Amino acid sequence: MYFKHISTRFFHLSKNLCADKNALAALRKKTGYTFANCKKALEMHENDLTKAEKWLQEQAESLGWSKATKLEGRSASQGLVGVLVQRNIGALVEINCETDFVSRNENFREFVEKTSKACLNYVSDVKETEGNVTKIALESESLKNLKLEDGKMLSDHLALLIGKIGENTVLKRAICYKTADTIKLFGFTHPAPESIDEEGKVIMGRYGAIAAFNSNTEASDEVRVIYRKICQHIVGMNPEKIGDTEIDKPNEVKDDEKCLIYQDFILDSEMTIGEILKENNIKIIDFHRFECGEEVKVN
Amino acid sequence: MSALVAVKQALSPALRSTFRQFLLNTNVKSSGCISVSPFIISKRYFAEKKVFQRTKPHCNIGTIGHVDHGKTTLTAAITKVLAEKDLAESKAYSDIDNAPEEKARGITINVAHIEYQTDNRHYGHTDCPGHADYIKNMITGTAQMDGAILVVAATDGAMPQTREHLLLAKQIGVNDIVVFINKVDAADAEMVELVEMEIRELMTEMGYDGDKVPIIKGSALCALEEKNPDIGQKAILELLDTVDKTIPTPVRELDKPFLLPVENVYSIQGRGTVVSGRLERGVLKKGAECEFVGYNKVLKSTVTGVEMFHQILEEAQAGDQLGALVRGVKRDDIKRGMVMCKPGSCKAIDQVEAQVYILSKEEGGRTKPFTSFFQLQMFSRTWDCAAVCIIPGKEMCMPGEDTSLQLKLFRPMVLEQGQRFTLRDGKITLGTGVVTKILPPLSEIERQELTEGKKGREKKEKKNKKTV
Repeated sequence: MYFKHISTRFFHLSKNLCADKNALAALRKKTGYTFANCKKALEMHENDLTKAEKWLQEQAESLGWSKATKLEGRSASQGLVGVLVQRNIGALVEINCETDFVSRNENFREFVEKTSKACLNYVSDVKETEGNVTKIALESESLKNLKLEDGKMLSDHLALLIGKIGENTVLKRAICYKTADTIKLFGFTHPAPESIDEEGKVIMGRYGAIAAFNSNTEASDEVRVIYRKICQHIVGMNPEKIGDTEIDKPNEVKDDEKCLIYQDFILDSEMTIGEILKENNIKIIDFHRFECGEEVKVN
Repeated sequence: MSALVAVKQALSPALRSTFRQFLLNTNVKSSGCISVSPFIISKRYFAEKKVFQRTKPHCNIGTIGHVDHGKTTLTAAITKVLAEKDLAESKAYSDIDNAPEEKARGITINVAHIEYQTDNRHYGHTDCPGHADYIKNMITGTAQMDGAILVVAATDGAMPQTREHLLLAKQIGVNDIVVFINKVDAADAEMVELVEMEIRELMTEMGYDGDKVPIIKGSALCALEEKNPDIGQKAILELLDTVDKTIPTPVRELDKPFLLPVENVYSIQGRGTVVSGRLERGVLKKGAECEFVGYNKVLKSTVTGVEMFHQILEEAQAGDQLGALVRGVKRDDIKRGMVMCKPGSCKAIDQVEAQVYILSKEEGGRTKPFTSFFQLQMFSRTWDCAAVCIIPGKEMCMPGEDTSLQLKLFRPMVLEQGQRFTLRDGKITLGTGVVTKILPPLSEIERQELTEGKKGREKKEKKNKKTV
């Protein structure tokens, strides 16, 4: 803030450096960078629009970085959870910002999309381990170092976003999945904007979950509906684990049940999830749930 | 500090005698600890509280804008400038910042409420950090916003999320907006002009009358630091003057047609039927024509007498707890939950759209989410009625979430836009909400569907599939 004052003041005083109004309006409209920065760019390049724009694009990152460092530490508890599933790979990411106004904004949503895709790319290159399901958790730092298709790091894109929206934004965490071909992944977010999901499209909401299913039957539309409902149940009921009929006993207080298989199905309280799985001959192998702004459990 | 309070107390003549005795008995000074009874402390606050003077019309406004554009500074500056005219209590930035958590109707909201007045009006000023907080504020009705000040910094111009700010204003029913372009001390005239153009364009795009939106330019910081009065203090006064002029004063409850939610009905021998309740709005006079609406009934009658505390009242005003003698209706015709109103001013409704906040578990709400077709009990005014909810555009509703709901009532009841209600499920309060839109009445088929439950719906769905 202080710095900004000084810099603008400085340009006020200096001679011959006067940005043309029309050029300023055009540049701002075209690039969307703050008026102060557009002005500075024009003054430095004697109202040459193309040069100024080029300079702005070059500077945007470093300006974003300086903004990011300034805003660092401000609490960011709002945001979105993004889910992306493509055949046997999937990613679940959480990105935080300061106000829920920003989390509704198009720029922010685009960034969630970028991050989800970056995670998916990352996991598709990972070699499968022996088990059926490979699950990789990414922390904030490792997320920042992911490379995007344009060759830039995710942290650079983050800086650009911060420069644009002027709020502290944090890449909080991500979980990436890679499974064997026989295992189906399914994702769900709440609130889900549209009811039809397409595979390979990023969905986002305040809550999100990915589950891995093993089914002998081919994933027909009907089975997919069940997958979806179970994912919805996981988002809604927040189970802690899948549970095993041989080890775990049902909780006596039904409302405190934390084992997925013993929980009453959210859409039909007369059945438990265990019964539904059995009826449809589906096995659930693993799941993970994110709630935006929740405290991260340390495993 | 508390010792100071105690000493101050001792100086107040009204309490001096009690206190002297107190001082003699305890050694306040040396101990420094306050074993002073809470009785005295509470008395002090009580005695010093100012009496609210209702001399000016009241209006509620709020500030919206990007976190760094100076909403809080502006609010602080407003109180400071007005404090000089003795119209407000000056608040420092830190007093307003970090909107404190407030509990309203059991719901936690982050909101800062500040009050001040101009020469013409008294204001309640609301500032919230997020969209959800503004929605909760609207639902609980702690302070319905009649207008808003959109704060934009001249150095940055409109931010991408300014769109979302304006969308929110639309959603909570704010139609009158005044724009304040802040930080003009850090920008030049051309930039300010461009920011103005940009804002007008954006507001037009968002469905406001962008060309006519009043825009004031200034610097809240200058006003706060008492520098450059042209863009400081004067700009703030100009802003307040514009708010005075452009944001209309809400209609007072007193000036609306009368409405009395019936609480009890009595039959008094030799006189007739008496209904009692609190007059919610308007003025009720003896001889007024009235109408009872609710439970599928509409009854016309005349008020032949109004009483309060067993005394005859010439005219009852909104807020009065009263009994009204009505002509020509039997006690059994009227029931608690009906509404007595000016003929034609109210209608029974059985389908509405509402904005609802679902209480989180910590606030005493449900632990589980619920889905469409969930049946619940709706409470509003003096009535309650079973209702079925539909969640538009979402598959379920989580506790702690605000949502729009479509409510279908089992029986038509008096409901109107802006009316508040509570939803309960068994012993639990599920949430509270406000009616945002009246929907057309349910058809006979839709009414039947309400009662048929899940099995019925599934059966019908299967049938439909077959025929297709």
